[in-house]
Amino acid sequence: MQQHAKGRPLPLWLKSGRVQTGLVIIFILVVCAIFAPYLAPNDPNEQNLLSILTPPVWADGGDAMFPLGTDSLGRCVLSRLIFGARVALTVAFTASIGAMIVGAFFAHVAGYFGGWVDWMIGRIVEIWLSFPPVILSLILMVGLGTGLRNVVLAIILVDWTRFCRVLRSEVIVLRRRDYVSAAQLIGFSHWRTITREILPGTLPLLITLMSLEMGVAIIVEAILSFVGMSVGSETAAWGQMIADARQNIYEAPFNLIAPIFAIFFAVFGFNILGDGLRRTLDTRLTQTERT
Amino acid sequence: MAILPTKNPILSAQNLCVESVGAKESFPVLTDLNFSLEPGKILGLVGESGAGKSMIGRTISQYLPKGFAVTKGTLAFDGEDLVSMLPERRRNLLGRDIAFIPQEPLSGLNPVLTVGQQIKEHLLRIGLASGENWRERALKEFESVHLPHGAALLEKYPHQLSGGMCQRILIAMAFASRPRLLIADEPTTALDVTIQARIVKLIAEMQKRDGTAVIFITHDLRLASQISDEIMVLYAGRPAERGPAKQLFSSPAHPYTRCLQLANPTITGPRRGLFILPERMPGLRVLKELKGCRFASRCPNAIEACTRAEPPLADIGPNHIAACIRTEKTPDIVPPPLAPGREIASARIHLNGEKLTKAYTTAWSPFAKRSSFKAVNSVDFSLGEGEFVGIVGESGSGKSSLARLVVGLDTPTDGRITLAGRDITANGNADRAYRREYIQMVFQDPQSALNPRRRIGSIVTQANEASGLHNSTRERMDRAAELLKEIGLPPDAAMRFPSQLSGGQKQRVNIARALCTLPRILVADEIVSGLDVSVQAQLLDLLLKLRDEHGFSMLFISHDLSVVRYLCDRVMVMYRGEVVESGRTETVFADPKHAYTRSLLAAVPPDDVNAEWSPVLAEAGYQVE
Amino acid sequence: MRMFATIAKLLVKRVLTAIPILLLVSALLFCILRILPVDPAAMSLPPNATVQEVEAMRTEMGLNLPLYQQYGIWLNKLFHGDIGRSIHFRQDVTSLIGSTLPATIELAVIAMMVATVFGLAGGLFLFYVRGTRAEAVMDFVSILLLSLPEFLWSLFLLLIFGVFFEVLPFTGRLSPGFERPLVTGFLLFDSLITGNIPTLLNALQHMILPCLALGIALSPSLMRVLRSSLLDAYQDDYIQQARLRGLSEKRILIRHGLKNAILPTLSLMGVQFGFLFGGTLLVEIIYSYPGMGNLMVDAIRNADLPIIQGAGLTYCVAVLVISIVVDSLYLILNPKLRVR
Ligand SMILES: Nc1ncnc2c1ncn2[C@@H]1O[C@H](COP(=O)(O)OP(=O)(O)OP(=O)(O)O)[C@@H](O)[C@H]1O
Ligand code: SF4
Ligand SMILES: [Mg+2]
Repeated sequence: MQQHAKGRPLPLWLKSGRVQTGLVIIFILVVCAIFAPYLAPNDPNEQNLLSILTPPVWADGGDAMFPLGTDSLGRCVLSRLIFGARVALTVAFTASIGAMIVGAFFAHVAGYFGGWVDWMIGRIVEIWLSFPPVILSLILMVGLGTGLRNVVLAIILVDWTRFCRVLRSEVIVLRRRDYVSAAQLIGFSHWRTITREILPGTLPLLITLMSLEMGVAIIVEAILSFVGMSVGSETAAWGQMIADARQNIYEAPFNLIAPIFAIFFAVFGFNILGDGLRRTLDTRLTQTERT
Repeated sequence: MAILPTKNPILSAQNLCVESVGAKESFPVLTDLNFSLEPGKILGLVGESGAGKSMIGRTISQYLPKGFAVTKGTLAFDGEDLVSMLPERRRNLLGRDIAFIPQEPLSGLNPVLTVGQQIKEHLLRIGLASGENWRERALKEFESVHLPHGAALLEKYPHQLSGGMCQRILIAMAFASRPRLLIADEPTTALDVTIQARIVKLIAEMQKRDGTAVIFITHDLRLASQISDEIMVLYAGRPAERGPAKQLFSSPAHPYTRCLQLANPTITGPRRGLFILPERMPGLRVLKELKGCRFASRCPNAIEACTRAEPPLADIGPNHIAACIRTEKTPDIVPPPLAPGREIASARIHLNGEKLTKAYTTAWSPFAKRSSFKAVNSVDFSLGEGEFVGIVGESGSGKSSLARLVVGLDTPTDGRITLAGRDITANGNADRAYRREYIQMVFQDPQSALNPRRRIGSIVTQANEASGLHNSTRERMDRAAELLKEIGLPPDAAMRFPSQLSGGQKQRVNIARALCTLPRILVADEIVSGLDVSVQAQLLDLLLKLRDEHGFSMLFISHDLSVVRYLCDRVMVMYRGEVVESGRTETVFADPKHAYTRSLLAAVPPDDVNAEWSPVLAEAGYQVE
Repeated sequence: MRMFATIAKLLVKRVLTAIPILLLVSALLFCILRILPVDPAAMSLPPNATVQEVEAMRTEMGLNLPLYQQYGIWLNKLFHGDIGRSIHFRQDVTSLIGSTLPATIELAVIAMMVATVFGLAGGLFLFYVRGTRAEAVMDFVSILLLSLPEFLWSLFLLLIFGVFFEVLPFTGRLSPGFERPLVTGFLLFDSLITGNIPTLLNALQHMILPCLALGIALSPSLMRVLRSSLLDAYQDDYIQQARLRGLSEKRILIRHGLKNAILPTLSLMGVQFGFLFGGTLLVEIIYSYPGMGNLMVDAIRNADLPIIQGAGLTYCVAVLVISIVVDSLYLILNPKLRVR
């Protein structure tokens, strides 16, 4: 029985090892992003043309000034990685919140009201889904032009359907619950019914999806900057580092490995958090799957 | 295989004990199980939900849930111990010598395979057919369970068939191998009353044909007494009483059996009060600490001695045993007197429906033409002040659709509803606000009717939130406390979530929410179905008590005729969207005019064990299958 | 026969609804690209063109007309198979797409097969080890895999097999010096029917890394869906009932469990394979594979509008085709939708 007492045990979701792992990873990334100027050993854009493509410290010819080596312009790889976290996380948080708001709004409207509203929204989503996301975001970036704001906007415009599709079916399930009818009979307005009766039920799924979407946003940003359609070259971004390193794949393979690992690490953090949340929050999960 | 001439038991359990052996704790779920079942006999297993009835079936198949195991005793099938038997050998018996019939016929068949594919698979496995001749064999089996058009049936998928038909198919499959033992776990609970009766009769017929021994699991003591030779009543994992069916039913020795019987309303004879068993069966974890009789906390005959030691299962007659130290006192348990009948003289008509019709159409799409069918067809009804009107009928007869029209969740396609003099058919915003003052609804499934994320206190006072009146936390807490007291829940329940309540408690909360604004009319849709008889009796009692206090009237929808007979002043019988008969309850039940009403009534097992039960009335037009 | 009729009906309906979708998609594409800050007229002229020349070009290209008229003209041309001329390559867009599309389809189809095989095998394995410690490990591994998108897999495999071990080629479709048969444009198919075994083998070698990268990247989500659908199916009564009828576990899994669990997996595949088709773009760039993805990216870098529009539309058509195929398959396997 839940008691109103101090020292309540941790909520179930926080006890999950997956959630904890995810939160730790995200915390590390956030610290890197916020304190980048203090953590980075060098200016990420400073070119040291005398020491280009130096290997990481532990390899032969490594330089302690550049712990992870330098790229083809002699920029410090570690510093660029740390500063790259800023772009990645900014995009991850803002784009996923934006996509969530747009997607959740349409999902709730469609699922709750049904009828032609649902039909229209369903068709719009269908049109969106007939674009492969990578292609649509590239085309949007062509239309919008590069820059951080536009990257976020493009991702929101592409990925709101992810939320809409999944949440809509959840809303429809909840909509059929008798407690929603009961709320209407008692005199709740539509708005109140949605926010007080349905939204609390879709919230767990919504949070889970958001966590996964942050991972997706990081990947999309990396892809866009990889093909040079994201932030300008003056800002360090992981995708850009990959594109640069690909030119010197034989001389400095580590320059390629470092950003790959950074992306993987971040995406993994969000995915494992999402999976942990799904297991602990999703009421539809079967018991067997939860244990 | 013919009936075996020997009297050797086909199944016998000795001191069988099944425990949950978890890492942290272990507790018994079945204890002291002793019985033997002879070929051709039917053993009825009766008990409330969680008593361990299904666990017995699972023990026989040895497909126990994870963490459960037989820890003591033996369970022998034809002399061979099922528990220590090699799994391969046991699997060999399953489907051939031991057959099962499930509770949910529709989900008992694989949805993506045709009936033919599934029966073929079974016939080939048990070696009754080879190659293409499975078809003839299958048709023969279908014939024996009275399934017409067998050939067409083979091509069908389960979702194209009704529950009754699926159950017949499953019965045909079960009996195809002429099994020696059949376990039927609530085979009719998910079906409509009339079909229920037919299926029970069919099982009995097949069982006679093959001389099969049957374990018939049910929560309905009356039904068990009709079809079984012997009955075992389980209470919290332990037999309370076991004896010959007729004897056990007509003179129960254990107080629990007696209470169960008296908690169920009758279908014939004079109406009597219901015995209210307090609380509910203790959880199995609690039982481990319990020293005395496990029924003591609820037993009307309990004395101090009962709590000292677990009463042994003692002989009290030929083949009749009971676990009670005061069996001689059991007949002293009598139902309370019936609440004095209230006169609803010249009742003012509150709510009136004329030619109400509701046609449902398929989902909106600009391409497909929307098809429609009439769920409610030209129904007239009225509800007087303080009156309880029952609506009975089978699933799909339009009971719930009518309820939705009355409360305003749907707008009728035709007809007129007036409420206290005002026409509310249009169901506009003003109508809704007006209706809200008068009518509230209690929903069927408490699982779905209570928002799992709200606390009980917030659920029952939700109406204040909607109206904005008395919406301060203080006022709501006070109102919640009042309401909880009225419906008999402890005050601390206000801070709990629905998942922390039992089924019966949830249903009480459900009632409390509807009562919050003191409506004049309640619409209750199947609110006691799926609950144990003892809980059902508690709720019926509560409804009558609340009526005395508040004087509301009620539309009470139920498929259980006994309950309607007990509770309602008037009754309406619905069939395929139409009201085929209505009138005062006593009159309709004593002298049904319409053939459909007669077949409904005949489907209920009689209160008297010795009465002939002939549920299948062959009246034209009302053969559902 | 009845099944055939239902599927034919579905196909007709899906193709009919695909038409308005494609129209809207093309309108969307057109609008997005009209916001473009660059001036296509100026782009198609030499840099030293005068203002008058640019203006004349704008009129000639119809850029001074209202947007809807421009769209109408473009659409009209589209119906006649004319998507325009590439500004950068100075070639018809249709022929550019025609020469790159087969390569992309080949890549996508093989990758889908890889994904299906890995996905189904992995899902079955995950289900098989349910409740054991191996499951916890495998489950964790599947999340790790889920965190590596196709473009990281491409780079990763390229580094390992191409750069470190140097066992597989990682640029283009064919090593230099190999004869290139040209019948349909599908290299594997062409070299097979012309009996050019060396080319076939070499082309296959080139396909391994890109297809693996795409397929592996997609498979974890399939694995996980198959596993959870199997777990769901095993909660259902009919599985228990099949056991009680004495069927063997193997038979129950294949005939009863898998047949049901494949349905949700299939509907996920429909969406995922659409995504996969977009994923080819990155894989093509990384492996310098001469498909539509490279064409598209070149066009984007050069703001070559006609190609972007044409290729964008082609990608959408491909996604729609995939989803129609998957839907038909779903219908064949799901009697609830097929017969009522
Ligand atoms: N899969 C399971 N996991 C854990 N406990 C279980 C499981 N199945 C049953 N139990 C427990 O075993 C006990 C007996 O359950 P059982 O299903 O046999 O009762 P029952 O008499 O068949 O009830 P009902 O009338 O609801 O079918 C109950 O306390 C129940 O909680
Ligand atoms: S032993 Fe006592 S408590 Fe138990 S049933 Fe008998 S009288 Fe009741
Ligand atoms: Mg049971």
